[in-house]
Amino acid sequence: MLPTWRLIDTGTRRAAENFALNRAILEARKRGMTPSTLRFLQFGPSALLGYHQSAEQELDLDYCRANGIEVQRRITGGGAIYMDESVLGWELYLGKSDLGTPDMAAISQRVCETAARGVSAFGVRASYRPRTDIEVDGRKIAGTGGAFDGAALLYQGTLLLDFDIERMLRCLRLPAEMLSPQAIEGARARVVNLGELLGVVPPLEKIKRRIADEFAETLGVSFEPGELSPLEARLFREALAEIDSPEWVEMVRKPRGGLPVVEAIHRFAGGTLRAAAAYDRAGGRIRQVCFSGDFFVNPPRAVADLEAALRDCAIEDVPAAVARFFQGRPIEMPGLAPADFAVAVTRAAQAA
Amino acid sequence: MASVKNCNLPDDLYYNVENNVWARKEADGAVTVGMTAYACALAGEVVAYTPKKVGRAIDLNKSCATVESGKWVGPVKAPVAGEVIAINDAVTAKPGTINKDPYGEGWLIKLKPSNWDAESEALVTGAAVAKEFEAKMNADGFAGC
Repeated sequence: MLPTWRLIDTGTRRAAENFALNRAILEARKRGMTPSTLRFLQFGPSALLGYHQSAEQELDLDYCRANGIEVQRRITGGGAIYMDESVLGWELYLGKSDLGTPDMAAISQRVCETAARGVSAFGVRASYRPRTDIEVDGRKIAGTGGAFDGAALLYQGTLLLDFDIERMLRCLRLPAEMLSPQAIEGARARVVNLGELLGVVPPLEKIKRRIADEFAETLGVSFEPGELSPLEARLFREALAEIDSPEWVEMVRKPRGGLPVVEAIHRFAGGTLRAAAAYDRAGGRIRQVCFSGDFFVNPPRAVADLEAALRDCAIEDVPAAVARFFQGRPIEMPGLAPADFAVAVTRAAQAA
Repeated sequence: MASVKNCNLPDDLYYNVENNVWARKEADGAVTVGMTAYACALAGEVVAYTPKKVGRAIDLNKSCATVESGKWVGPVKAPVAGEVIAINDAVTAKPGTINKDPYGEGWLIKLKPSNWDAESEALVTGAAVAKEFEAKMNADGFAGC
């Protein structure tokens, strides 16, 4: 007989409620008072910071206010994202031993690979992309992140159903040129929706069932629909009192200038390569980088994969990370050498 | 210095093995707290660190700092109770210092302990360190640092 885990679906809620539920269910799981759980969730329009991020650095708060976009802080890591009902959220609450490995990166990989198989069941080819993405032909369809406490963990992810990345870009604090029509097209080319791949968004219930079936099969469990326990409901109310407040949202405050968007244009024999990066000046770390220019790379997805590989990379490690990325990958790029990418990123950081 | 599955675990420190943290009593009476090399290996490179504020009282086994690595966020639990008297600005600037030097420059907080003598009794030190961590690593299914 397979172990029975709980399946809950909390529908569309305010971000503060969704994160208070994160805290409540994780706490109850840590105390051993609740079963391992798969939860589906959705958000009203909201701009969501990673746990350690600062709203001033990451978000265009005037735009969020003017457009009725809730600003909240997750309890999980990673970067700022925009969520609304065009994205499905899914979460696992587990005991640390449930996945058979204590290694956090391996847990991310295992969960992402399983979710990717659930998405692939619709006839698309979704794969895990290190460290925490799910992609289809190099275009991101889901992002993930986690939190742990004691012997329990929460791992959460998104699935883009019918998402317009322009809405997300406008919430983020970006220089005007990164909101140009070309830049927005460039960003659109890096993500993909399930609806776009299939021509139509499948019924939500069907998507949830496929994902749940895949987790059940991979983890060797069966899911039974359930509700929040009285303990979780109480923990939820306590967590909401803390999270649904300006103090929580403003818990981390960093000066705007600490995360400049920097760029450099590197000329190589066959053209130009432009690197635009969000650069954590104090930490000496590339938060995120975006390459563009008149170069040819085949397969084209290699550029997005390289960008993913350089996320959160210390600036002094960029040349080695680039070299590692290209090693053993059959990538054609006439006139362009792997080192050119490292040069462009390093120069961009030096411009900070 | 004990080494278990290639993870350094200095045997003069005091460990809460379950929470994967160490404590060191300094000459001035302060207690320095940090993550073990094993905890660092499980987490991967730490990219953010938020300690509790100086002056804050921390209960035994409650969070004294929050760290993030590979999009995972979690608490570091104080191996003894006390008041935070110092946080590590060098780690705030470069959180990866925790991985590079978990027992030295990568320390997380310093506490003025409220009950060191009694609470340190429950921590693991000396010859028992290697044995206790080996058992934990085996139970966790950990291959090595």
